[in-house]
Amino acid sequence: MGIVTQNFLDVDHLVAASLTALPKIGPKRLTTLLKYHDPQTAWAVVQGRAKPHEVVAALLQESGLGAMWRANATRDLQEQILGRCKKSGIHVVLHGESNYPSCLKNDLAPPAVLFYQGDLQSLKTRRVGMIGTRSATASGRYFASHLAFELTLNGVCVVSGLARGIDGWAHRGALRAYQKSHGAEIEKLKSAFGDAAAPVGVVASGLDYVYPKEHAELWRDVAQAGVLLSESPPGAPPEAFRFPLRNRILAALSEVLVVVESRDKGGSMITVDEAQKRDVTVLAVPGSPRNIASVGTNLLVQQGCLPVVGVDDILVALGLDNRRANEKSFDPRAKLSERDAHLVAVMVGSPFSLDEFVIRTSVPLLEAAISLGRLEALGWVVNNSGWWEVIEFG
Amino acid sequence: MFASVRSATLLGVRGSRVDVEVHAGIGLPGFTVVGQPDEVCRESRDRVRAALLSSGLPWPTRRVTVNLAPTGDRKSGACLDLAIAIGLLAAQEIVSVDVLSDFAFIAELGLDGSLRPLRGATPLILALTDRKSIVAPGNFAEARAATPSEVYCAQNLVDVVECLAGRAEWQREIVSRTSAETNVTRQNNHGYATTVSAGAMRASALDIADVQGQPVARRALEIAAAGAHHLLLVGPPGAGKTMLAERLVGLLPPLTDEEAIATTMVHSSVHLESPNAGLIRRAPYRAPHHSSSMVSMVGGGTALMRPGEISLASNGVLFLDELGEFAPSVLDALRQPLEQGTVRLARARTSVVMPAKFLLVAATNPCPCGEGSPGACTCDDTARARYLRRFSGPLLDRFDLRVAVSRPNTDELVSPQRGESTADVADRVAAARELAFFRSGCANSALSREQLDLVAPLSRSAEKRLRRELEIGHLTGRGYHRVRRVARTIADLDGAPDVVEEAHLNLALMMRVDLASGLRTRELMF
Repeated sequence: MGIVTQNFLDVDHLVAASLTALPKIGPKRLTTLLKYHDPQTAWAVVQGRAKPHEVVAALLQESGLGAMWRANATRDLQEQILGRCKKSGIHVVLHGESNYPSCLKNDLAPPAVLFYQGDLQSLKTRRVGMIGTRSATASGRYFASHLAFELTLNGVCVVSGLARGIDGWAHRGALRAYQKSHGAEIEKLKSAFGDAAAPVGVVASGLDYVYPKEHAELWRDVAQAGVLLSESPPGAPPEAFRFPLRNRILAALSEVLVVVESRDKGGSMITVDEAQKRDVTVLAVPGSPRNIASVGTNLLVQQGCLPVVGVDDILVALGLDNRRANEKSFDPRAKLSERDAHLVAVMVGSPFSLDEFVIRTSVPLLEAAISLGRLEALGWVVNNSGWWEVIEFG
Repeated sequence: MFASVRSATLLGVRGSRVDVEVHAGIGLPGFTVVGQPDEVCRESRDRVRAALLSSGLPWPTRRVTVNLAPTGDRKSGACLDLAIAIGLLAAQEIVSVDVLSDFAFIAELGLDGSLRPLRGATPLILALTDRKSIVAPGNFAEARAATPSEVYCAQNLVDVVECLAGRAEWQREIVSRTSAETNVTRQNNHGYATTVSAGAMRASALDIADVQGQPVARRALEIAAAGAHHLLLVGPPGAGKTMLAERLVGLLPPLTDEEAIATTMVHSSVHLESPNAGLIRRAPYRAPHHSSSMVSMVGGGTALMRPGEISLASNGVLFLDELGEFAPSVLDALRQPLEQGTVRLARARTSVVMPAKFLLVAATNPCPCGEGSPGACTCDDTARARYLRRFSGPLLDRFDLRVAVSRPNTDELVSPQRGESTADVADRVAAARELAFFRSGCANSALSREQLDLVAPLSRSAEKRLRRELEIGHLTGRGYHRVRRVARTIADLDGAPDVVEEAHLNLALMMRVDLASGLRTRELMF
């Protein structure tokens, strides 16, 4: 082992990390390899310098895996991994080590090697997973960020996938709460809410491969405030097969899983399946039957998942004393006049066009323009690319 | 002997005078055309010879030189046939040279000596207003409508000779049956022309009352028509974007004399409008397919500089369906005409200016999957962003009105209740247009920044609203003025000719959808 690790990664960590970067080595094969050998022996076995355990030997015979791995298990690979980890401050933790997240230790399929940026201590609190569709409605995005905001202030850690849509917005809300409580207002807020929890992100690609690109800042902030986890080696692109694997970790980290908006198929539903395999309570935010983005969550409610209409529902599911939460959910918006409240009540639920507003409320067009303008200024509706939505808070 | 005969050729949408000089002198029998004739023009020799011989008129057995003056310009087309024939007859002293100075001749010749109609009669006649013009029967109605000067028509070459000699009377009235028949044949010979005209006619007959529901889109059409604001319709497939656009022409007021002449000149020069109709009084509607080439849109192409779709849509509506599918270069070529109302095409030999003052209506899907509505759309942000990049910012900026159109729901579709008819809406549009022209001499979309402050003062609350939009960055400096112009039109239609109120401004803002706004990250509210 001629590589000078310069104390950034010790040798065990480095070879384990390098093993994850071998081609066609999924979590299962990696686990098998590291179950029967310590990391350095495993590396030697892969290189053909040590005698494999008989289970591992069988594995190596599988469709030329042994030859392929031997060709790839080079010093270059190690140097590459080390370089990437050093450059991006990526640390490694192995299954069985003392700082390995205890919540993953006894999982059905715990990752043998876990990469992380930030502080693993962030996981040592109550955790709620929050997931949903990538093409969310504005209403869903706000709801997700607001739930995450309140959970964080109540000391509950928000675990999410940092994807587009609901995931990203959950993290934005959680970060906002975290930054607020660790910022200038600390005293006042602390007395009101106690310690805010740090956010946790679980991603599919390597930790130095930001996907989607526009979330670069969000990744950085999450890693700084809490912790960012990945099973994939640094530099791994966001390949499709990595997402279901990521979803399993997300489900495993969650004590309660909240689905904010989801269609009847997709990544969120895979996470729900993984959660149900692990007896994790799944909660769903119901939506208007007209809203396509809520078809999946409504389905979950039909199947018996408890609905979430506010942060209290989640706190109760966690068995937390919900009296610590505010009496009424924090809504900074001005109260509406009776007329406006009626308009909001008519239009709430699914995105609508100006046409639909005029038709459903029977308000003349010019008057409608005034009403919507007022509601928008007060923050009760938003407009995105010509579509209007009523924003609900948890 | 020498004779000079006046005629004209077509360049772009304008006629330019040509003097056909014929010299028949001593030498070996021969025939030369000089003065930059093109291929068709050079072929005149054979047509004229056959026409003369089959009319029983002599072909000179001398050395003949035909000069097309001014020699500097290229002459194109068969419009000089009749003039060359008359020049040859004058050079042989069969027609008196003296009478020719009163006349101009514009017609193509058939081999039997008949006079055939040609395209561009209106611009050609307008280049020759100081003379009495002789045209083919098929061009007679159009020519008469175009000019107050005297226009005669003759059936064939012999008639022309007889009338010039004073032995017969010119035909001054339209013999309706003959000319109608001629028109029909002529149109059928040009299948393309027939279909387009029929389409144009149909479009203007469509009634806006057919549109079920969609109050916003209907209002947008009304505003676009009243203030001459360019309109972008954004909506999923099946939302009726094309249906709406087709109904816009009906809302536009009839063309003024000046506009009618300009539009007729363009349509005449590509052979489009039935000459029986005389001047085109109805706003034209053009809907070129998105595969259209740059030349077909802007004009040019041949030496004649054929006008493009933007000129054909002049004083009317140019509808571009599936805006994103047009070649980006074609779309960007629209920007200068949109700004100036004309298009100047320069080529090595020529340059022409053609009218291009059209109302641009475009339709597009909101995103690649077409659904658009948050939640229903299955596109990811990257795909949406890539789709929106097809429309250059400067082009999108020229649409004063950008309106989201949604599919009408079943109740609206089957509802027996019909909306306002085109006639009712057109009345309001006409009143608003009149008001705008009376107030500032132009449509509201053309108001200058200085004029805006003068004629479109904002109420206090409207000003506050606009200031907020600017502050939060929803509106740029350019957008600011455009919104104010649209608000002016909305107020005019609402019967508020003075101050622009907040409601008018709000509606103007809501009819200016920011297509990319759904892609931007917004601030959290807490």
